[in-house]
Order: sequence, then structure tokens, then C-alpha cells
Amino acid sequence: MIENFLTPRLTGRRFDDHSIPLEFLRDLSVLEEMITEVAKWKYLEDHEERQRTPRSFTNGIELKLTGIEDGSVRPVISLILAGASLFAPENQLYFESARDAIIHAIGAAERNEPFKNFLPEKALSYFDRFGRSLQDGEAIEFIDQSSSTTARLTKETRRKLVLSSSSVNELSEETFVRGVIPEIDQQKLSFHIQPAYGKRIKAPLSPQHDDVILKASNGYKDRVLVLVQGIGKFDRQERLKEFESVEHVSILDPLDVSARLDELRILRDGWLEGFGKKLDSNGLDWLSLQFEQQFPDDVQLPYLFPTEQGNISAEWSLETNEITLEINLVSHTASWHLLNLESQHEQVLQFNLDDVTDWENLVTKLRQLQENNA
Amino acid sequence: MNSETILLRQVNPAWIQQKVITSQVFKPTPKDDKQLSVYDGDMISAEESWNHFTSEQGLSSSGVMGVSVTEVETLELTAKSDPQPYREHAVIDFDGLNESQITKKAKLLKAYAIQRDWLYRAEVS
Repeated sequence: MIENFLTPRLTGRRFDDHSIPLEFLRDLSVLEEMITEVAKWKYLEDHEERQRTPRSFTNGIELKLTGIEDGSVRPVISLILAGASLFAPENQLYFESARDAIIHAIGAAERNEPFKNFLPEKALSYFDRFGRSLQDGEAIEFIDQSSSTTARLTKETRRKLVLSSSSVNELSEETFVRGVIPEIDQQKLSFHIQPAYGKRIKAPLSPQHDDVILKASNGYKDRVLVLVQGIGKFDRQERLKEFESVEHVSILDPLDVSARLDELRILRDGWLEGFGKKLDSNGLDWLSLQFEQQFPDDVQLPYLFPTEQGNISAEWSLETNEITLEINLVSHTASWHLLNLESQHEQVLQFNLDDVTDWENLVTKLRQLQENNA
Repeated sequence: MNSETILLRQVNPAWIQQKVITSQVFKPTPKDDKQLSVYDGDMISAEESWNHFTSEQGLSSSGVMGVSVTEVETLELTAKSDPQPYREHAVIDFDGLNESQITKKAKLLKAYAIQRDWLYRAEVS
């Protein structure tokens, strides 16, 4: 017997194309463990005379992903009952009650209301794995049948749920770090990555990544940059303590924009002979995202430098052409100056980098100059 | 100071990426009031200027690059001694130029300096 049990709605950038990334299935797989644990707790609440649930409590019951609903992205999670004779209907009610309790807890956490009545402390720790891959702006939405309201599990609500437990001092989340590799410990099968600012982060070294890590470590003095992606452990102050596991490691372009902008974040007021403004952190986030989204791989990345006024000068040397693009991190406008060192021909232009068309024009100009050099 | 004098310019650490310097190195910033500070290379060596800049003035520099007075004058700029803050101090005068003209001349000065390469490079720790 198959019963439609849960159809959460997934919202956010990764789900905009009506598909579910495979990595997200790991999050869903934790649901079965979590629901089972809460169902057992519910059963024992109703049977105070018992020390433990019956051995057959979970026999013949499974949660499976049986489809994705058309329209919005809704994975259909079904309760599969092996056979009516093997499964007491009463137990099914505990699973449904567990599902509802989890949804109530998420809804309460979202509204900043008490949620510990809905779930045992032990079960809250499952949120450390359920929803771990959620990114900023993403949510898993559940319908609370009792109130017809929506309970949204986001990075923020998940954090509240996990850290509400007094015994939990850290939270794991998918994360990434850009930096150099100063150290490998072959005996302990670990390495450290040193980001542009902050402390070194320890990570496990697995065979599939050891060649890239070794190459980056050998290039430490030349500042060979890598991007390490995986599950990180964060403390209550949201500081990354270490990587629990590493999924991807890649060597970055020496001119990687995000890595360079991270280096420039550490500048403080007065960095230029007592003058020199600190660069606006939101502006750096914006510029990093713009380059990621608007700047194609086939165009040479710029060298990036801070300006005295706290802006960014992006610079390209394309054969005899010296190009500077001074980017205002607050107004998002940019002044282009091109000088051909031989002809001394100059070109001065203005761009609005909040405008996709201006980005396209900028890229077209650079591509043409690059192709003229080839 | 004569036409062969090398004018020594300190390079801020934030103005180097992957061994490449920004053209701002030779561009006066608002704090400079169109007077770009340099050391008179006839009066002090590149290494000594770096020591003076970092130790005595307590400022940051990753090394020293330079342009000649002739190169400065080729760009219709003037170089002059300005011993007010300290004896070896000189300036390249960008007065009367607009932003675009300043940017252009700064890029040309950088090109001259790159041909000459680093005159002193601080050891990277």
C-alpha cells in the first residue's frame, strides 16, 4: 500500500528550473531517520509503561521518493506499507504524528515561538543533517494541515532548531573556502587551507583529492589558490571551525576574482599611507557575484586593486592596450579608460554595472581587444 | 636633480597582484593634490629609500620602482625637488591636468617603470 505522506515545496535558485539537484536527496534521506525517531518518541509518550518501542515498530514501513509533482518543485514522499497484516494502523498514526510534529516545530521556529514542546531534544539534532545543503534564499516549505499555514525550513530556522539544544555546540553546513594550502599531514590524512583572512581551516584528505591538494601545497609560495567545498562545522558564532568532509577541490585561476576580493577585505582605513578607505563589504559581495554571473570564462580576468577612495580598479593589459575600469562599490557605476601605449589613442566610457546590457557591452569590448591580440 | 635622475616610487603592498602593479602607482590620488611623491634617486638609493619609507616613516611598501626625469618631461610633466618633509623628497607635478590626462600619463609612467623593472624588492615574508 502506498500513501502520499509528504510533499514539501522547494524554493530558491537551485530549484528554479523545476528540478532537484542530486545533492539535495541527501537532505531528504535524513527525513526517514528523523520521522522514525520522532514516531518512537510519540509512541513512548503514549505508553509510559514501556521502556522501548516494539521491535516490529518500523517493520514493513518505508518512506520513499515516488515522484516530483508538476509545476513547482515538490518531491512526493510516500509511506510504503508492506502489508496490512504486518502493520498495525496505530503505528502509521505515530508516523503521521511525527511528521506533523516536525512541521509544527519548523513553523514555530520560523515565527520565533517555542518549539521544544513539539520535538524531543534528541530529534532536534537531526536538523544538523536535514536541510544542510540549503543555501541563502532557499527553503523547504511544508503545509501545516492543522492551521493551513506554511512552515519554511531555511538556513536561519534550521540554525535555531539545531542550536536550541544545550548539548549542541556546532552546526554543520555546506560551505566553501578559497585559499592556499600551507600544510598537509600525510600521516593523519588531513590538510589545512589558509583563507585570505581568518584562521587556517583543517580538512580531511581523501584519495580522490590528494593530487590536487599536493599540487596546491607545492605551489604555496606562488600562492596557488584552491577552492575547497564540503561540509563545514560552525560554532555558535557562525565561525567555520573545520571541514567534516570534502566533496570538491579545484585549483583556481590565479586571478580568481572572489579570492582577490577576499584578500582586499582585510584592508583597514588608512591602508594607503594613512589615507585609503576600507572597502565596503556589501560592495565586494556584489562585485564578486557580478563577475560570477556576468563575466564569461573566455575573457581574461582583470587584475584588481583597491583605490584610495575605497573602490576597485580592474585592470587589463591586452598587448599594447592598458585598460582600467574604476568600479564604484556603492553606486555600482564604472569608468573605463583605455590607452593604447603605441598610438596613445584613448577611450573613456561609463558603465552601469547593475545593468546586464552594460555588462554585455563591457565583455564585448574586452573580447574584441583580446581577439585583436590573438 | 638632472635629466638622468631616477625618481623612486614606493609601491603599496595592496597595489601588487601576482607580481603585477597597478597604474595607480604613478597616479596621484586625492591625498596627493596632484603632486606625486617620489625620492630623488641622486640623493638616496632605492633600498635606502625603502628603509626610510618603512622604518622612519612607518609606512608600507613592497618595493621601489622608478622613472627618469627625462621620461617625466617627455610626458610634459615636471619633476622638482621638495625637501620640506625630508631632504630627498621630490614630486612629479600633475597640476592643471584633468582626470583622463592624469590617468593617461600615469599609465605611460608605469610602462617606463616596468621596462626598468624593480629597483628594490622587499623580501616576501
